[in-house]
Amino acid sequence: MEIRLIERFTTLKGRRILEVGCGDGRLTFQYARAAREVLAIDPDRLSIEDALDEQAALRVANVTFRLGSIEQLPARGAPFDVALFSWSL
Amino acid sequence: MVHALQRAGQRLRSGGSLISIRPHETQLPLVSIITPSRRIPVARLPTPGFDDRQSAADAALERVVAEGRFALAGIRNGRYRSLLDNPTELRTYLELINPPRPRFPPGRRAHLLDLWRLRPRGSRIEIAEWIVMTALRRR
Repeated sequence: MEIRLIERFTTLKGRRILEVGCGDGRLTFQYARAAREVLAIDPDRLSIEDALDEQAALRVANVTFRLGSIEQLPARGAPFDVALFSWSL
Repeated sequence: MVHALQRAGQRLRSGGSLISIRPHETQLPLVSIITPSRRIPVARLPTPGFDDRQSAADAALERVVAEGRFALAGIRNGRYRSLLDNPTELRTYLELINPPRPRFPPGRRAHLLDLWRLRPRGSRIEIAEWIVMTALRRR
């Protein structure tokens, strides 16, 4: 449902996506296969570990899960097409 | 929150989208028991500190638009439902929500368990959540 709503604003297909507050990747895995590349971050270690386990089980290769906050992301780097704040504001 | 949005803005390409998904301000998550013949609403789940957090998020979104870094692209409401097999799955579902998490009001979890013990065969637990999606466009 969230993906349908998001795609009323922008397509995720083929896009480079930054997801802030990814948790265990519940939302991430819904769109990851359509995206070109995903950087998904969350400050909760257990959630990131769950996401990594799920990623291995699903064999999704284009997602990087990272422990941390958006403020720790370098200000410069390859630009993203979409930034998703999923329950993280 | 403003710093988080500003940092995201630094990493978005011009014309890129920033999308915030948040719980609805007034429509609280609703837990119901779904029997084969009817829906039994059990409890609405408030989130401690929710109003303050929502106000801060609104202010942060308004500020980055006012600063000129983003333009408002739209706001949409939506609802989604999750069906769970038992109260243990409901507990797990709630624990996986980013803090602060919605909680049962006093006595309502016990009420759910009472109703669940008397459920007809084939019943499930539904949690319905309402969300607000705010989209900003990077200038």
